[in-house]
Amino acid sequence: MMQRISFRLLVLCIAIMMGCGKSKSVTPSADSVESSSRDAAAVDSATVAEEVLLEPFDPPKLEELEASVTWVDQRVVDTLELRRQAEANTKSLVTVDEALKLRNDSPEANKKILSALGRLPDSDADVDWNATLVRHLNGDAKSMNPLMANSTSEFEVHGLMAFGVFSFDWEMKPLAIADVTVSWQTSSDGMYDKVVLRDDLTWSDGKPITAHDVVFSFQTIMNPKVPVPAVRAGTDELRWVAAYDNQTLVYFHKKPSPTNIWNINFPVIPKHVYEESVKEDPTMANSEYHIKLEQKPVCGGPYIITKRTQGQEIVLERRDDWFKKDGKLVRPLRHFKEIRCRVIEDPNTALLALRAGEIEETILNPEQWITEQTNNDEFYAKNTKATGTQWVEFHFCWNCDTPYFSDKRVRQAMSYAFDHREMLDKLFYGLYEPAMGPFHASAWMAPKQGLKPYQQDLDKAEDLLDEAGWEDSDGDGIRDKTIGGKKINFEFTLLSSTTPNSLKVSELLKQNLDQIGVVCNVKPTEFTVLQQLEIEHKFHAAMGGWGTGTDPDTTINIFGTGENRNFGSYSNKEVDALYEAGRKEFDPVKRAAIYAKIHEIVYEDQVYTWLFWRNSFYGFNKALRGYKFSPRGPYNYGPGFDSLWKAVP
Amino acid sequence: MPTPIPSPDLVIAAPEALDSATRGFWAETWVRFKRRRLALLALAYVCFLAIVAIFAPAIAGTKPVVCKYKGHLYFPALGYLNSKWENPVFYTDRFRRIYPENLKAKDPESWAIWPLVYQDPYRRVREGEWPDQPGNPTGVEGVPSQYNRLGTDQSGKDVFAQMVHGTRIAMLVGFVSMGISAVIGIGIGATAGYFGGWIDTLLSRVIELVMCIPALVLILALIAILEKTTIWHLMVILGATGWTGIARLTRAEFLKLKHIDYVLAARALGVGRFRIMFRHVLRNALAPIVVPITFGIASAIITESALSFLGFGADPPNPSWGTLLNAGRTTIEQTWWLVLFPGLAIFFTVLAYNLIGEGLQEATDPRLREAGK
Repeated sequence: MMQRISFRLLVLCIAIMMGCGKSKSVTPSADSVESSSRDAAAVDSATVAEEVLLEPFDPPKLEELEASVTWVDQRVVDTLELRRQAEANTKSLVTVDEALKLRNDSPEANKKILSALGRLPDSDADVDWNATLVRHLNGDAKSMNPLMANSTSEFEVHGLMAFGVFSFDWEMKPLAIADVTVSWQTSSDGMYDKVVLRDDLTWSDGKPITAHDVVFSFQTIMNPKVPVPAVRAGTDELRWVAAYDNQTLVYFHKKPSPTNIWNINFPVIPKHVYEESVKEDPTMANSEYHIKLEQKPVCGGPYIITKRTQGQEIVLERRDDWFKKDGKLVRPLRHFKEIRCRVIEDPNTALLALRAGEIEETILNPEQWITEQTNNDEFYAKNTKATGTQWVEFHFCWNCDTPYFSDKRVRQAMSYAFDHREMLDKLFYGLYEPAMGPFHASAWMAPKQGLKPYQQDLDKAEDLLDEAGWEDSDGDGIRDKTIGGKKINFEFTLLSSTTPNSLKVSELLKQNLDQIGVVCNVKPTEFTVLQQLEIEHKFHAAMGGWGTGTDPDTTINIFGTGENRNFGSYSNKEVDALYEAGRKEFDPVKRAAIYAKIHEIVYEDQVYTWLFWRNSFYGFNKALRGYKFSPRGPYNYGPGFDSLWKAVP
Repeated sequence: MPTPIPSPDLVIAAPEALDSATRGFWAETWVRFKRRRLALLALAYVCFLAIVAIFAPAIAGTKPVVCKYKGHLYFPALGYLNSKWENPVFYTDRFRRIYPENLKAKDPESWAIWPLVYQDPYRRVREGEWPDQPGNPTGVEGVPSQYNRLGTDQSGKDVFAQMVHGTRIAMLVGFVSMGISAVIGIGIGATAGYFGGWIDTLLSRVIELVMCIPALVLILALIAILEKTTIWHLMVILGATGWTGIARLTRAEFLKLKHIDYVLAARALGVGRFRIMFRHVLRNALAPIVVPITFGIASAIITESALSFLGFGADPPNPSWGTLLNAGRTTIEQTWWLVLFPGLAIFFTVLAYNLIGEGLQEATDPRLREAGK
């Protein structure tokens, strides 16, 4: 399971990188995606030309605004410094040399390896500032335009070269990046955010980066003619963005909400480069000018793309003009002089490349983690590996619109029929923990106690099915029920992605249901087709997964009535009301209680049969240091990827 | 001296066959076929496979072949062939198709005759299910052992059981798809060749048209449309697209044979068209047609395995040889048994059909027969 992306062109995915992207990611298929579009439906709506997404707005003068609101300071953080502070209180359990000799064969060993190798350098002298890092991309990045970002590969590359104002740390607390901002303030009524940018920022073509670029980017994202695949969701919750001078920005919200802080986080493109060309070619991809830009994009981040070989490699180089002004360092230098992103789609090939030292980091799937391939001397000659809990859950989604799953008791019966132990112990080698609802147990919004994972109990499952009226009335061995005068056999189709582990789990459910007189036909479905069927609610049941968002409110479009990713058409007034309440509640404790309640309700209702949390497994070259796992994996947070470094040889 | 091509009837009268003047054409072919050791061995192998396919549920399974339960005789193993043939009495009453335990528990008087190997092609055998047999290992642990002769796949299903039941799929795919092809191909080819004229022109164009349709694309489209894809759908598609070669050969034979005197004689006697076509002409045209059918079976088996390997075969669980190969692919460095055994099975089966085809060709074609001496 868990190759990151097997069909790169077919996969809609989105993952958050620091400073660019949105707050939520999704994993609709067990294996093929790391995470996926925040809102697949938005792709379609974007192509409707007549639509007006942004009503004109006349922002008040800054003086008027200043007079009427009280500002509350928000965090402006150098994430690396934040990480360094967090590390100061911890000690590594073993020395670096010991850690490099360790085999990662137990949770203790993993802890030791991470504690020693996952640290930032003690001093700048330890870092090889001229180092090159060879990263692995599991699919080519299609576009170098941050607004067009859609796949994990794109987000990984854009995270290095694109300009962004906001990010969040490993606890998913939002922050403004100190590299680019002077201050960030939110009004006490929650209606405005004010940001002052630094005045020493430049695009790679030498032009200054200003507040007007941010405004232009916002307006381009909201331009219905521009086919923005992923980043519009959330941004469209904003009322307006205004620039009062080259540095001062104000974001206007439609209503106060704790989720507003996520909506202001969108990627930024250079106004002087795109202003005219977008009018001619709103696709931002087809005109000759845009095609040229794809090859040599104007970058606003710490790295610039120097070479791009389609389907093979993207080479990025550290921008000295970004870090230095008049020969003086004005921001903390990034650790690598050059980053080469090698595109390798097949996970087995990627592992071979890692062992040969051709790439220096790669994600591993559980088979690779558990077997000889990553446990023998050959692997440990050049590499080591590490794992961390990741908040990516997988589930069976039941379509409540079908006669089979409209009844809560039937959904519960499904969960009781499934052999969870067999899946966790035998199919996943005990590497994954059971999932009990949408939020991970260690998350602040998860209920603190009282939930137990489902265990297989066929007696209970049969009792529940009997109660719900599904009994074998005609003695053919298949349960049936008369609905509206018509007898329906309990025979349904379970959609699954075509990846082996997804199919194995689905087949296990089939076996289990077979024993209690329910026929489940497993249908391997190509990922994009699967997604389309889900969006159109044309399925009985489907196996899928969601990656975590940064805020629990992002799950509203999964469980809210009529929401566009509520594939199973689940509807519960209480849940809807709680989501509404969650958006208005600013007290963190009360807010946590609201989402815990939602968690409990959807778990009780078994909207999904939750299966497991998918951990992240990575192989790292022994030269690499500084990796730390967050609920969003080792890279997709601040500082995330930026904390990696290589020691002086 | 130029000699006319002898019609098959004449061949029988050839000097070397004089001692058995009464032998028919097919008997003669058999005699010649028998002389080819390899072809004969291949035929024996295919017969062996057919036996394995038919008796698969009795060879490997977790359902008794015969059992007496609450005063009645049942044959639960038939459930492997068609789930409807497994009596519902074994689902209801919380029996749950766990036979060894529940038969005794629910009816102490019961008895059962079990398959030779207690392993299931569709699920992992668990610890304690069968006396003195541990649960099947999973992951890459399933090395061939005394309990799992050919090892297990990653989810713990026995490879031997899957291969035995997969034989049925391989056999069926070959015979059914080529059966369909033969019926369509011979029918269309015979009509085109015998009637000639505009019918021939029309049917020839149809043949050319069908030749242009790639079976693979059709199958992929079908899988996308169908709610539930079974092995039968694949067989029909393979059969419905693979008949063009047969049709062309049949047409050619008919074009040639329809002018021969005995056809003329039959016509003069007032024999009906269809009787002439299928009783008189087809018999003599059959020999060259059988050969491509045999090769067709081999290619159908390969196609099915390839489809399953790519994950486009019948819906899971589907114990096809190709599916096993596919499972072995991901952990090829560790699980050699997942690749070796099904790979060998596919290889030998396809080889066997090709050898049989070649043997038939040489046994039936008088020119090759002469050359072979």
